Amino acid sequence: MMPVGIEAMNVFAGTSYVDVSKLAVHRGLETARFENLLMKEKTVALPDEDPVTFGVNAAKPIIDALSEEERDRIEMVITATESAFDFGKSMSTYFHSLLGLGRNCRLFEIKVACYSGVAALQTAANFVLSQTSPGAKALVIATDLTRFMVAEGGDALSEDWSFAEPSGGAGAVAMLVSDNPKVFQIDVGASGYYGHEVMDTCRPLPDSEAGNAELSLLSYLDCCENAFLEYQRRVGDVDFVDTFGYLAFHTPFGGMVKGAHRNLMRKMAKARPAAIEEDFQRRMGPGLTYCRRVGNVMGATTMLSLASTIDNADLSGGAQRVGCFSYGSGCCSEFFSGVVQPESQTHLRRMGIAASLDDRYELDMAQYDLLLKSNDAVRFGTRNLELAGTTVPEARASLGRERLFLKRIDEFHREYEWIS
Amino acid sequence: MPIQEVFDLVVKHTCEVMPELDGHTFVATDSLRDLGANSMDRAEIIMMTLESLSVTIPLVELAGANNIGELAKLIHDKSTS
Repeated sequence: MMPVGIEAMNVFAGTSYVDVSKLAVHRGLETARFENLLMKEKTVALPDEDPVTFGVNAAKPIIDALSEEERDRIEMVITATESAFDFGKSMSTYFHSLLGLGRNCRLFEIKVACYSGVAALQTAANFVLSQTSPGAKALVIATDLTRFMVAEGGDALSEDWSFAEPSGGAGAVAMLVSDNPKVFQIDVGASGYYGHEVMDTCRPLPDSEAGNAELSLLSYLDCCENAFLEYQRRVGDVDFVDTFGYLAFHTPFGGMVKGAHRNLMRKMAKARPAAIEEDFQRRMGPGLTYCRRVGNVMGATTMLSLASTIDNADLSGGAQRVGCFSYGSGCCSEFFSGVVQPESQTHLRRMGIAASLDDRYELDMAQYDLLLKSNDAVRFGTRNLELAGTTVPEARASLGRERLFLKRIDEFHREYEWIS
Repeated sequence: MPIQEVFDLVVKHTCEVMPELDGHTFVATDSLRDLGANSMDRAEIIMMTLESLSVTIPLVELAGANNIGELAKLIHDKSTS
């Protein structure tokens, strides 16, 4: 069978962040057991950043590295998101324009909560495998953000936001999918999917999330186990401990994947606590590195964990198989796998993902609270707005390279500008 | 298995997950949340209890218990039905 998977990959996780332990103290959250949740930092979307700026900033270095002929073979742009600002117009049209892609190209967007990035990746991989257009590539951009909004005079700041606020981040992962999978070769057909209707968490209102976090967590754990069992049934000789050198799971917060890992280790391997802890640090630690610094980026999170795994894994001993698990509320989930080579790491590290996280500006709590109020200016349905350079100049100044920002909204049409 | 035994298992695993509660006298109306268990701790306690009982119940069917007594009853009813 022909190879398929990720030819190139990049992450963009914004220009500013907050330290979530400072935020937890600021909000008066119960901090005694906060450490167990394994959260560290979260990216904060500025009013002049949106899912398009995150996505373009992630994809641009990938596209810039292609020849004109290669770029013209991108025949599909799939946006994976739950943060769109239009029910009809696909964000893929903005990506297509801002990245200068050819016109013989399918442009569409998909939604399925946090599973969207993997749903898009598998859709793209199947397009390549179908050979309906031999040699064609697909660009997948998973991009999501959370804007917590506070209206003047409201009391939302004093409400119990529990752990949703510290865990909700912003960012995008761009992936070029082709028959030349230099970064991640998908194990074709090795997929266990598992879904059913459940009302756990959702976005029934623009700019706002609703739902039951506890139900969502329990559903994630159910799905993780059942998706893995289906993967095992389909693939055959699979051992949860020995088959995968590394594990990259959807990471709403670190404590969640730690719980899912512990459950599988107990059930599949009858492992004792000390062995579980060692295994967790060794096989899941690399994937958690970036997730702990960015927060939950919904549809992009599983792929953020994969990028983090590839960047931070020890591949000195040769190729490794990575077991991936994605869960999207509502719900649908998938356990799948692929192989990374030592060269995969070389390719990905050229993107400088860790350095771009280091470059972000740390917001203090006063700046952060002010942003929650100013976010209202860019709420869903905003028709006209001038933005250029109005927010947090320090965040722009912290940039090491050219980045795209939202400049204005003119009759709902979004206009962007490059700032260096 | 009587509900009381399920209750005792929930208490046992609660103390394992949160050793600081050792010595606490548990009653049915105790809420795990009020005792300081976060959502991950609560899921852990539920999973450990199911394993001790060797029963498989979809975890989503066990969401919504307001206290330890309700959780024990829910697990008991689902494992015998």
